[in-house]
Amino acid sequence: MFSRPLTRVDDFEAAALPHLAALYRTAKFLAFVPAEAEDLVQEVYLEAWKSFHRFEPGTNCRAWLFRILFHRLHHYRRRQLKLSKVESFADPAAADALPAAQAVPQDLRDEDILQALARLPHDFREVVLLADVQEFSYKEVAETLSIPLGTVMSRLSRGRKLLRQQLAEVARSYGIRVGDEGGPL
Amino acid sequence: MKDLNFDSKPCEWVREQLDAYLSSELLVETTAAMLKHLEGCAACSAELESRLRLRDALRRAVNQQLPPANLGEAIDRQLRQDRPALFWSSGPRHWMLALAGLALVVVAGSAAKQALGLRRGRQLVAKILTLGVSDHVYCAIRTHNYLRAGRPADQLQARLGPEYAPLLPVAEQELPGFEILEAHICTVPGSPRKYVHFIALGHGTILSVILTRRQGEALPGEARLVAETVDGMRLYKSHLSGMDVAGFETNNYFGFVISDLGQNEVLHIAAALAPALRNQLDAG
Repeated sequence: MFSRPLTRVDDFEAAALPHLAALYRTAKFLAFVPAEAEDLVQEVYLEAWKSFHRFEPGTNCRAWLFRILFHRLHHYRRRQLKLSKVESFADPAAADALPAAQAVPQDLRDEDILQALARLPHDFREVVLLADVQEFSYKEVAETLSIPLGTVMSRLSRGRKLLRQQLAEVARSYGIRVGDEGGPL
Repeated sequence: MKDLNFDSKPCEWVREQLDAYLSSELLVETTAAMLKHLEGCAACSAELESRLRLRDALRRAVNQQLPPANLGEAIDRQLRQDRPALFWSSGPRHWMLALAGLALVVVAGSAAKQALGLRRGRQLVAKILTLGVSDHVYCAIRTHNYLRAGRPADQLQARLGPEYAPLLPVAEQELPGFEILEAHICTVPGSPRKYVHFIALGHGTILSVILTRRQGEALPGEARLVAETVDGMRLYKSHLSGMDVAGFETNNYFGFVISDLGQNEVLHIAAALAPALRNQLDAG
C-alpha cells in the first residue's frame, strides 16, 4: 500500500480536477448568489490542495471535495442569512401537505426542471442534488451534510415530491396533459 | 440499507420503499421481491417509471450546466502559485528556492487579495440589492399590497406625498407596456428603513421600482461587478431569492428594479429608468 502523502500539484490535479464540473454545478444551484459558484469552487480546490498531504490515496476524493464544498456553502449561507431578511419562499413543512403522487409530464423543458429545482427549499435542494444528480449514497450524503441518515431519507422523499408537484403545475400551465394523478393507494 | 417483508399490502409497501429503491439503497433480496411485484403490478410500474423519468430529466438538465471554460485554468494557476511542495525541497540551491518561494508568496498574496476584494465586492452588491428585494418580496409578493385594478394617478401621488409625487410621471413614462397599480411609502418589518415603492403590472407579471435613501453605504466601483454603465450611472444586476434585480445609486438614493422577467430584461428596464429618476431626484 502506498502510504507516503502525495505533495505534487500534478498528483493533486489528477485526483481532484475531474470533479470540477460536478462541484461547479452543485455550487451553482446552492450558492446564495449563483455568480459566487466560481469563487466557491476555486476556494474548495485551494483548501483541498492545502490539506492534500492528509488525503489518503485510494479513498474517495470526490466525496472529500464535496464535504469541503458544503462546509464552505453552509458557512456563507449562515453569513448571508444574517445579512438578508428575505426568507425562503417555499416552506419546507408545506411539502408534507402535498398530494401523495403527481404524474410526471412527458414533455418538460430543461429550464422548467431547473426552475423547479431552484424553487425547492434549500435543505431539500442540497439532498436532491447530492443523491439524485451526484448519485451519492444516503450514508455519503449524511456525512457530507453532517445530518442523520433518517433526515437524508425524509428530505429526499419530500424534495422529490415537491419537485414533482411543481413540474406537474408547470405542465398544466402549458396545457400538457399529465395523466392519472395517482394519489394515495 | 433496508430489508422489508412484502407479504402484506404489497402495493403500499412498494410505494413506501420506492425512494430507497430509486437510490439503490435496498438489499438485493428486497430488490428482487420488489421487481417480482412490479412485474405483475401495472400501477406500481407506472409510478416507478414516473419517478425514474423525473430523476433522469433532472440529472440531464443539471449536467448540461457547464463550468466557465477558464475555471480549470484559473484553479491550476492558483494551485501552482500556492504550491507547498516547493518549500519541502532541499539541495545546494536551497536559498534560491527560498527566494522564489518568497516571490510566489507575494504573488499569491496579491492574487488572493484581489480575489478576496472581488468576493467582498460581490457580497456588498448582493447585500445592497437585497434591500430592494426584501421590500418587493414583503410588500408586493407576500402581503400583495396593491389593487388589481390600480388607483387613479392623483390618489397615487397623494400616497407618495409632495416629495416623491413628481416621480410618478417619470416612472409611467419610462415603463412602457406596464400599468402602475400602486405607489406608496412603505417599510419592511424589523427595519426602520423607508422605501418609495412603485408596483407595476406588465408582460404578465409584477414589477417593482423601489428607491431608498442611502445611509452611508455605496455600491462598489470595481468594473467587474458593474453590469452596464448608462449616462454615467453604474448598473448592477443579480438574481436573489428567486427574483431578478437591477440596482443603481444616485447622490442620496439606491434604486432597484425587481421582477421575475429575467436579469437582462430587468437590467434593460433599469437602464431606461435610472437616469430619469436620478434627474428628478437631483432636481427635487
